[in-house]
Amino acid sequence: MSFFGFDTTLPRDRQQGGPARGFFENPDPFAEGARAQALEDDNGIDFEDTYDGLGDQLDDDQDAFNDDTFGGADAGPSTGAVGRDFDFFGTTAKVADVIGEEQVRYALQNPSAAPLDAQQKAAAPAPTTTAATTTKRTGYEKYSEPGYIPDLQAKSSVWGVSQKKPEPIPAASRRPMMSLEEVEAQMRQRSQPTATMPSHSIPQHLVEPSYLQPPQYSQGVPEGFPAVPPEYLRAALEKGVLPPGMPGLPPGIPELHGAPVMSGPPPMHLQQGQIPPQNLPPQGHRHAAPPQGPRQPQQQQMPPPPSARGPNGGLPVITNPQQLMHLTEEQRNAYLVEDAKRAKRNHKIFLLSRGNGLMTPQDKNFITRIQLQQLVAAAGNVADADPEAVLAEDFYYQVYSQIRGAPRQHPHQPLGHFAQTYLLQTGNRLGGHGNRRAFQSADNHMQRMQQQVQRAVEAAKAKPKNKQLIIEGSLGKISFSNAKAPKHMLNIKRPDSSEGPRPKKVQSDLSLSDRKSILTNIESVYSALMAMEDMERTMPPPPEEGDADAIQVHMEWRQKVHSLNQKLWRALKVMEPIVPNSTTPHPFIAFLSYPKGKKAIPRIFRHIDQEQRVTILTMIVVHLDSLDVVRLAQPGPGEAQPSIAVRESIDLFSLAVMPSLLGYVNEAPFNIIIGLLGLVIAQTHVQSVARTKVGLGILTMLLSRAEIVKEAGQAAERDWQQWVEKFNVLFDTLEPTLADIFPGAINTGDDMYVWQFLAAVGIGASPEQQQRLVIAVKDRVMETVGYSKTLPADMASQRLGNVNLFMRAIGLDVELLG
Amino acid sequence: MLFFSFFKTLTNQTVTIELKNDIRIRGILKSVDQYLNIKLDEIEVLDLDKYPHLSSVKSMFIRGSVVRYVMLPRSEVDVGLLEDATRREAANQAGKAR
Repeated sequence: MSFFGFDTTLPRDRQQGGPARGFFENPDPFAEGARAQALEDDNGIDFEDTYDGLGDQLDDDQDAFNDDTFGGADAGPSTGAVGRDFDFFGTTAKVADVIGEEQVRYALQNPSAAPLDAQQKAAAPAPTTTAATTTKRTGYEKYSEPGYIPDLQAKSSVWGVSQKKPEPIPAASRRPMMSLEEVEAQMRQRSQPTATMPSHSIPQHLVEPSYLQPPQYSQGVPEGFPAVPPEYLRAALEKGVLPPGMPGLPPGIPELHGAPVMSGPPPMHLQQGQIPPQNLPPQGHRHAAPPQGPRQPQQQQMPPPPSARGPNGGLPVITNPQQLMHLTEEQRNAYLVEDAKRAKRNHKIFLLSRGNGLMTPQDKNFITRIQLQQLVAAAGNVADADPEAVLAEDFYYQVYSQIRGAPRQHPHQPLGHFAQTYLLQTGNRLGGHGNRRAFQSADNHMQRMQQQVQRAVEAAKAKPKNKQLIIEGSLGKISFSNAKAPKHMLNIKRPDSSEGPRPKKVQSDLSLSDRKSILTNIESVYSALMAMEDMERTMPPPPEEGDADAIQVHMEWRQKVHSLNQKLWRALKVMEPIVPNSTTPHPFIAFLSYPKGKKAIPRIFRHIDQEQRVTILTMIVVHLDSLDVVRLAQPGPGEAQPSIAVRESIDLFSLAVMPSLLGYVNEAPFNIIIGLLGLVIAQTHVQSVARTKVGLGILTMLLSRAEIVKEAGQAAERDWQQWVEKFNVLFDTLEPTLADIFPGAINTGDDMYVWQFLAAVGIGASPEQQQRLVIAVKDRVMETVGYSKTLPADMASQRLGNVNLFMRAIGLDVELLG
Repeated sequence: MLFFSFFKTLTNQTVTIELKNDIRIRGILKSVDQYLNIKLDEIEVLDLDKYPHLSSVKSMFIRGSVVRYVMLPRSEVDVGLLEDATRREAANQAGKAR
């Protein structure tokens, strides 16, 4: 027979798709389990485990109250017409949820109870297997159908039932009117013939209210077995000795769930004894409304009777009164303390778990799906989450976080991997449960999620790319937008690409040096630079010998790099012919006159070869006069120093360009240095160049490099003669203006670079030249020494140190000036 | 996505946001999304006298569309990189338009 109209035939006995489905219009939720079992033998869900055996327990002669429960025959003439299409599935599902939630809560409250499961299963197959059913039924079975979309309406049953769930009202408390006499009579009647006694009735008259456990304590009591081993109670009852003041557990039973193991008779026994009394409502109070009907099996399966949970349920854990009696006062106290602790902890757990089970797995899944879809929408396609695409979309963030190395939350994760990370975390959390089934289901869950993401991505791809929709007859148009391509406020028709670049070309041909074309040049330099930097990133690993493919790849790569280098070089326009006495500056010099042109130099130098570097250096030296940082740096009459803008660009030049040049010069062969010095003398107005920081800097660079070469003994005699000649010309040219190369008066700003230059000159100079040098700058030296006496110590020593740079170069020291 | 990418780097920095209704709020940027909605913590409203109703607000979520300006900590902006990112973005846009 079937209790609720369940189809109790086993799946293997059932004909597929046969009429045996009964009122289940939805697919059988257990069928998946059975199928899984067929596939992966004992890994999956064993139907024997999941089958609760309810049908076997039921006797046909005890279904007398079915009519009461389900509103059957005698429900009255008006309801008699109620057909078999009653919503059994809904109500059954409620119970299934409750059972499942109870199980979860139980597992939460008794973390160590899991291993006990097996014991319980052995001892009492009937009650625990029901719980096992609910555990194994993951709730996701339906999702294995690709087209399944969960019912989006919030099921009222979900909220209603689960809110009631934490305190299922036990039968006893639903009938509070039962008088003491009634209870006693009932008990006497029961305790006589059979072995067991319904434990729930005990506290009502045996335990004094002051020893009642707080109701929440009962939350900690496992529900799969009786809290009170019946024989103790019976013994106690018969002797009439349940001493008051014996709360809690005897220390011999440390864990609550240890109780059933210790108590002799298997709960199975007990349960069978208990079914009848609960099924037969005493005093005819029972007139269960149909919704309450399905609750009944729950009570049957969970014998922990009201004593364990009802508001008037007391001492659920008294197991051995004798043991308690033998305790010493001390032990008892210790025990009481421990007990209180446990109660407190259980209460806490209860408080924390209040929200547990409010959402069904379907609800959670639905929400996760929404979140994942958002994620997919935000991250674009997961499919194109390769680093290149991420870099293109999120360049600044990716590079910035690499540079600053600040993994604040998770930034190194490319956006596309976000979803995967998220899924992994979910998996860990579920899998952390430790028990195998949970892990498995989490695993499946993840797979399903990934599939869902994939489906979502495919759906997004399949979606028409139309940006807007114009409905006929409507005045406006509807435009679609997403995170990546927000709705356009303006709809500007772009010119056809064939028309676009042409006018630009014409313009750039007009003049090489107007502002717009210079800026265009700079941008093309930058795009070439970025392309080269990209190439650098994608450099294939150096090929091993004999690996023809790798060599081929490498060759291709180098080819590309070379062509990019050529592109960069052309964009720099270094090789444009120099037009003497032209009013417009050379394109490369114009390039350098913009801050971003200056900033590009260090990056350019990384990607060009030595020959190109020397070309650039030569270009700069030849045009030293017309460089903006030299040309504009000459302070006008009556001005102490150049304007702020010019000073800024000088600083930028010193920071960005000079180090690159210096880096090259320090490796340059001596003849190039000689050549460059010759260029300075021949092509530029040395006296005005020397009055600027940049000009002096370049001269210092050349002079000190020559000195280093000489010190190292690398200079050939002939080269050195050439150098000395050039040097002498330079010295003679500069000598009259040496006093003027300092920036402004003594108290203005930084003159260190001048002293550096003087030191470089001094080292290379002959003794006679050194003397002339000293005479030329003697006033400034004395001034500085005098001035430094009025300065605070650290500033003074800095100024003196600068002077000393020069003094030491010619074999003197400021100390001597004392 | 350039702005999104950019603002993401400013998380946990103090920024000042001026809304289109002239309220200026300084606070720690906690997060930003692709709509440039902004979450601010430990906020402080400049000109609090004018907006006393905000005096007890400690954190807020600002819809991106109501922001007029975001004032940034200069030291946290890598200008060169931002220039390059802008060039890339422009190149991307140009590529998409075609």
